[in-house]
Amino acid sequence: MQLGIMLIMGRIFAEVARKFKQPAVIGEIIAGLLLGPTVLGMIQPEWFHALFPVPSGAGTVLSGMVQVAVVLLLFIAGLEVDLHIVWQQGRQAIATSLFGLVIPFLIGFVFPYLFPEFFGIADIHARLTFALFMGTAMAISALPVIVRILMDLNMFKSRMGLLVVASAMVDDVIGWMIFSVILGMIGKGSVIPVWYTALLTLLFAALMLTVGRGLLNRFLPWVNRKLAWPGGVLSLSLALCFFAAAFTEYIGIHAIFGAFIMGVALGDSEHFSERAKEIVHQFINNIFAPLFFVSIGLRVNFFTNFDLLLTVIIIFIAFTGKIFGAGLGTRLGGFSWKESLAAGFGLNARGAMEIILGLIALENGLINEKVFVSLVVMALVTSMTSGPLMRWSLNRK
Amino acid sequence: MMHFRKIGLALAFSPRTQALMAEAARFKRMWNAELILIHVGEYGDNEKMLLEEFLSAVDLSQAKDVRVFWEKGKPSERILATCKNENIDLLIAGALNKENLVQYYLGTIARKILRKADCSLLMLTDPSITPNPFKNIVVNAEDSSFVEEAVRAACTIGLRDKAQWLHVVREIKLYGLTMSAADQHSEHEYENLRQSLVKDEIDNVEKILNSIPHEGLKVNIKMLAGKSGFELAKFAQRKHADLLVVGASPRRFSLFDRVFPHDLEYIFADMPCNLLVIHPPKSERIGKEAKRG
Repeated sequence: MQLGIMLIMGRIFAEVARKFKQPAVIGEIIAGLLLGPTVLGMIQPEWFHALFPVPSGAGTVLSGMVQVAVVLLLFIAGLEVDLHIVWQQGRQAIATSLFGLVIPFLIGFVFPYLFPEFFGIADIHARLTFALFMGTAMAISALPVIVRILMDLNMFKSRMGLLVVASAMVDDVIGWMIFSVILGMIGKGSVIPVWYTALLTLLFAALMLTVGRGLLNRFLPWVNRKLAWPGGVLSLSLALCFFAAAFTEYIGIHAIFGAFIMGVALGDSEHFSERAKEIVHQFINNIFAPLFFVSIGLRVNFFTNFDLLLTVIIIFIAFTGKIFGAGLGTRLGGFSWKESLAAGFGLNARGAMEIILGLIALENGLINEKVFVSLVVMALVTSMTSGPLMRWSLNRK
Repeated sequence: MMHFRKIGLALAFSPRTQALMAEAARFKRMWNAELILIHVGEYGDNEKMLLEEFLSAVDLSQAKDVRVFWEKGKPSERILATCKNENIDLLIAGALNKENLVQYYLGTIARKILRKADCSLLMLTDPSITPNPFKNIVVNAEDSSFVEEAVRAACTIGLRDKAQWLHVVREIKLYGLTMSAADQHSEHEYENLRQSLVKDEIDNVEKILNSIPHEGLKVNIKMLAGKSGFELAKFAQRKHADLLVVGASPRRFSLFDRVFPHDLEYIFADMPCNLLVIHPPKSERIGKEAKRG
């Protein structure tokens, strides 16, 4: 019942968002707000509790589904990374992505580190971890939103379009690596040194992208040849995603990192066809993504946890850091100021990745509900404004 | 205009040398070019006599525009240095189809030449003593520094050899990512997007072809999605192509390009057929850039 209602409401509001040329995630979050404590819970609390009872089997199943959705969303985020495009763009992509990563990271780190109470730190002893998280939250980009904007602007295959896409890919890989280390720093009661988590993260990524990818290149041709298509490659790729997630969780890195890197390794294999990628995307984007984004609205009361000043400041930091950083990096890569500003606006879209990042931080007690709500609003605002701002920047004389 | 004025041939006095000589002689006549033979290693009267026999077999023993360079040192380095010193436009060499894992990372002489040459290269996987014209040519038309030159060379060879087919292949870049970003499209819009992706790339290929004479050639424009070099090699194999033409990379390859394969590395690792890598001389490149500028 819960899943059915979530999927239908998610679809209805995704369609509304589509009418306004906005990403589906915006509609899905609005659906969650309507179904959750923000609207339904305020107007008809008994209906809300009847539909989403907290201590129940259904609640446990829903929570499990959402966890699976997070792992799968990170898996397709990894599949979207095309290392070859990154190498092709070369020095320019590295400059744009590094500036677009380091500057927002630094700005996002400094202010929460200096004013942790204002930024709603959940545990005052975890000041460094909290500031590192906020830095990462400012540094990450949302590749699918960026791709869609570039397609709308008919710039996807242009030199600048490919540069923006390649930079977003690099930002994603480094951003998720940093986030995995941060999650390791939280420790969940165990004493794991940071350097150990960082080393494990790097080692796992390096091994998966070399030896792991080599093994996949030997294994996938057999799968394509001998097993039914696309059933064989689909079930095996998802199985590998869960194995990698379980493995990283076992060695002390969060499950999402395993899923993400497995996605990168599989997506980079020449034997994992573009058609297979498309099918995996459709399957996850249309079933698990709506469940996840609707569930965001169910989890937190966005009305009572909305802090206008905090939200405005987070949005301001997000805009300043990314536009300035990515813009400067693009300019240094040889583009005009006008194009560089447009690239900064493009890379400013945070979308779904920010929300996933925020949710994991919330679940791990790194941030409170107010920061989470501000991050979700920031993700939505940056995603909605990215396209129009990019268009405005390019049309300027 | 793409023209090979000086053709080099790397000689190793292996069982395939006579066949390679015959192929080089055919190319020399096709382009009316000077032929430069390069041998690296010990040599004596026996080698000189053998070379004379090979040249006689292809009616080149008296040719004035055939020169021989006897070099000593590391084969790939000496061959490449001679190519550079003599301004060779096209170097012909024999190559095995496939490298094993160790060869892939360390590189054989042929692959070292492929990865470092500053001139165009013709790698013959199955040279014949009685060379046949190329009948089924595949050319890579993906955006790269020398795409026009590659298509031009393929068309010229196709016309001179009266090829039955010229397959012009282009990749639809980031096809999976593009289609997955279109998750808010209706079925009709989704299909339209798919078709427009194909159409845009066909238009791009036609733009290139329009500036190159190819009347009389049967041209098949083919779109591929996936890792471009890998898909291109697979396509050439599927079509039983006898020549695959690609534009060279403007930079030299390193080990890094083998760990995270460059498009061309997929082809170098497992050559589907004879391979022609087009790397125009600097003078032509500068001319082209000035024209564009």
